[in-house]
Amino acid sequence: MASDQDLVVETVRDILSGAEPLLLDAERRWDERLWTALAEAGLTGVGVPEEAGGSGGELADAVAVVRTLAAGAGAVPVAEQLLVAAPALLAADLDLPAPDEPLTFAVADAVTAKPSDDGDGPGRWTLSGTATDVPWAGVARHVAVLAAAPAGIEGSVLALVDASGLEATSAANLAGEPRGSLVLDGVAASGALLRPEQAAAVRARYALARSVQLAAALEQVLAWTVQYAGERQQFGRPLAKFQAIQMELAEMAGEVTAVTAIVDAAVQGLERGSSELPLLAAAAKVRAGAAVEVVARLAHQVHGAIGFTQEYRLHHLTRRCWSWRDEAGNEATWSRFLGAGVLADGPDGLWGALTRLG
Amino acid sequence: MSSDALTLAPAPRSEAAEQVRVEVREFLAAERAAGTFTTHVDTWLSGVDPAFSRKLGERGWLGMTWPKEYGGHERTAMERYAVTEELLAAGAPVAAHWIADRQSGPNLLRYGTEAQRREILPKIAAGECFFVIGMSEPDSGSDLASIRTRATRDANGDWVVSGAKVWTSNAHHSHYGIVLVRTSPADPANRHAGLSQLLVDLSLPGISINPIRILDGGHHFNEVVFDDVVVPGDMLLGEEGAGWHQVTAELAFERSGPERFLSTYPLIAEFGRRAAATGDPAQLATLGRLSARLLALRQLSLRIAAALDRGELPNIAAALVKDVGTTFEADVVDEVRRVVDVPASLDSPDPLGRALAEAQLHAPGYTLRGGTNEILRGIVARGLGLR
Repeated sequence: MASDQDLVVETVRDILSGAEPLLLDAERRWDERLWTALAEAGLTGVGVPEEAGGSGGELADAVAVVRTLAAGAGAVPVAEQLLVAAPALLAADLDLPAPDEPLTFAVADAVTAKPSDDGDGPGRWTLSGTATDVPWAGVARHVAVLAAAPAGIEGSVLALVDASGLEATSAANLAGEPRGSLVLDGVAASGALLRPEQAAAVRARYALARSVQLAAALEQVLAWTVQYAGERQQFGRPLAKFQAIQMELAEMAGEVTAVTAIVDAAVQGLERGSSELPLLAAAAKVRAGAAVEVVARLAHQVHGAIGFTQEYRLHHLTRRCWSWRDEAGNEATWSRFLGAGVLADGPDGLWGALTRLG
Repeated sequence: MSSDALTLAPAPRSEAAEQVRVEVREFLAAERAAGTFTTHVDTWLSGVDPAFSRKLGERGWLGMTWPKEYGGHERTAMERYAVTEELLAAGAPVAAHWIADRQSGPNLLRYGTEAQRREILPKIAAGECFFVIGMSEPDSGSDLASIRTRATRDANGDWVVSGAKVWTSNAHHSHYGIVLVRTSPADPANRHAGLSQLLVDLSLPGISINPIRILDGGHHFNEVVFDDVVVPGDMLLGEEGAGWHQVTAELAFERSGPERFLSTYPLIAEFGRRAAATGDPAQLATLGRLSARLLALRQLSLRIAAALDRGELPNIAAALVKDVGTTFEADVVDEVRRVVDVPASLDSPDPLGRALAEAQLHAPGYTLRGGTNEILRGIVARGLGLR
């Protein structure tokens, strides 16, 4: 349904246009106006079925929304809501908050969930512990928390926590996006026990969401750098006419194209419900993270000193890329996971595993 | 950014390709069990085995996409992709037929006369006729338009060729070369004019083939010297003077396949066995990083195969994939040796040490052959609208 996605992308671009990305700081932690506009247009419920309160549409539509916002450095928790928290809650048969109330996601291995004794039934849990590096902590109204199951029970608990009454620390990532901690002190929440493979799929969704954002941001960084090289004159001609600059831009293009290909393949894996999703997401996250090294470094090199300032747009995306590659599991974590995963068929099964992944 | 030249639609899954993949795997397992071949790195350069090539021809795995009337099998580029990829991953001896199947055949199909096609294509598809590329010369590498090998018409209308070609892989095992020659004097105003391609039988009098050994001592490269060689007049390939255009199209075939990122795969396979045995986290992480890069390259290469099936000629995307892919091939050596304490040696008792040695000694070639990565990046830069 390419035409639907084109329409979605156009709508998001229209909303983004006219506003520069926000420079985030302790006072201005997100772009509330952007969120309101997106919510009013129904874009914070894309890919969520209408019967669950969403706007309908396919995964590909949600991916298109997330990509467009990532390329525009939109400071809103849409990737977390549309690609991770909402589908994970739905898959666990849990109710969703209204799509206009920002919903985020946290992997919280240091939070333990115990079945509640309040008589509300097996769907109620009590969460205790500290969730760290929570995206949009202090901004999001709700958090889907992937917590540790009680001792002796395999798997994890996915619980929907109302964060409105919780205090968040002010930690932020390199781009100023909130990544604070939430202290859960016996917080009651509805939740569901996930089997280990279900929990792994949720973690994979999170890694894939960041990979989708990275792919879009890296494409935009390349486009900005090509444009800048065409406009900036030195020694009487545009930078783009220098062979040294051409080599750098071509190297960036190679990285960006490779990232897009593997991220698309992982999204397709998610679409068809592939049991290999964790390995595909791992490959996407590792490849995207590796590309950030090259693309961000060369983009800044080509832009020169102006790109090193807050006055110029480049930092909105390069700082995000430097953080997104760390979040949801960095290259060290996912490359070990992928390395072990492709050997799951035994020492002679590597090629079979790689070709099965697509 | 004019990214259209660089972006390719995702490849649809091909059941036919997966089916033939299974058949090739079974064939390779049986051949390996029978001792027909042992796995080596970079076998599309070094693994010459005409008997093996004939077996592939018998199974219909050469000339796969060509019309049946010329001995082909009218299968898709995606199916051909699966076959070539399996052969490369296994490190099977495919060098004898590789050039003929990959680029000389398609070149003949596009530009050859009916007689040339009927005579030669069925033999290539049978695995009985091997080709060399006659492009580079001692004084002409990346600057291909500067070649000096000349062909002039004699009184009978035949071509008299003199000059020398270098780096001609496996000329000493091959039957024909497609040789780029200057058929009109060089015109400084149009350097690409006056070039033509000739189809040259390598057994003609006046041709001498002299070995050039590469770093591991292997004899794959040659210098091919043409000393007033008389080539029949009907062996012109395509149009006189259109050589530059034809050679550019030929290079697109040369640049788009899985051999541009799988040349060192047998080293990865050996390293994977080591990581499985040790369980060492650093080795697993390296294997994961290499796997992520390889999986991305596979997606890109599959997209190119799918684009070929749609009848497109994705020259710029192919240049980009070759740049990224061959860089990866060389990086594999560095990545692996950082996390294993195994000296690279062709005499190593450890198969990993031997694979490292083969991959290292072949490494300088990956980012040179078929167009240096600097040339490729120039093509990509054009695709980005920079030149």
